[in-house]
Amino acid sequence: MSSHVVHLVLYSAIVAAFFAVLTRRERREQFRFGGLVFFGMTGGVLLLAYLMFPFPR
Amino acid sequence: MASTASPGKTAAALVAGWVLPGAGHAVLGRLRRGLVFFALVMGSFGLGVAHDGRLALYSSREWLLSSMQVLANVGVGPVDTIARVSVYGEPAYVRRDGDPDPKQEARIETFRARWRSALSIYGTAYLWTAGLMNLLLLLDVWDLSRGRKD
Repeated sequence: MSSHVVHLVLYSAIVAAFFAVLTRRERREQFRFGGLVFFGMTGGVLLLAYLMFPFPR
Repeated sequence: MASTASPGKTAAALVAGWVLPGAGHAVLGRLRRGLVFFALVMGSFGLGVAHDGRLALYSSREWLLSSMQVLANVGVGPVDTIARVSVYGEPAYVRRDGDPDPKQEARIETFRARWRSALSIYGTAYLWTAGLMNLLLLLDVWDLSRGRKD
């Protein structure tokens, strides 16, 4: 499995779930916070990728 | 106010949490949360091993970086040692560059071969994340046992 995007989604999901369960007690809050972390990570990376697009190696 | 665990139970929870990710929470009565943590940490660790993650070796040339990398690996518990035996053929934690011992040379070559793998960058991130997550869990176990969290 060598797709950047698959690993981005998988890694973000693991980290988001971990911090949601670690820092929040209510199920509803866990989903809210986990979603925020997950979309923050994936969205942030995709945004950064688009910003870097005009600057190839 | 959350209750405080006895020093013995706190120590048992910390040791159990390092030996088996999530077990510290189970010892303190948070079984469901412990199972979730076990699945997340071991899932990340499994992905790391499967993707040629680098099992760091301490090197005196890069003592700071390499010791931090080893710490991140060791955080996941004895399963790290099992992975090292499986990868290096022995519980290797140190590399001595220039050592003519064939065992050392083989160890360094295995390390470099994993490093060259196209998947290694993903695998290493998963391995370090698993170890660091488990170290955070130990801090959480400490807070729970001192009554700072419930």
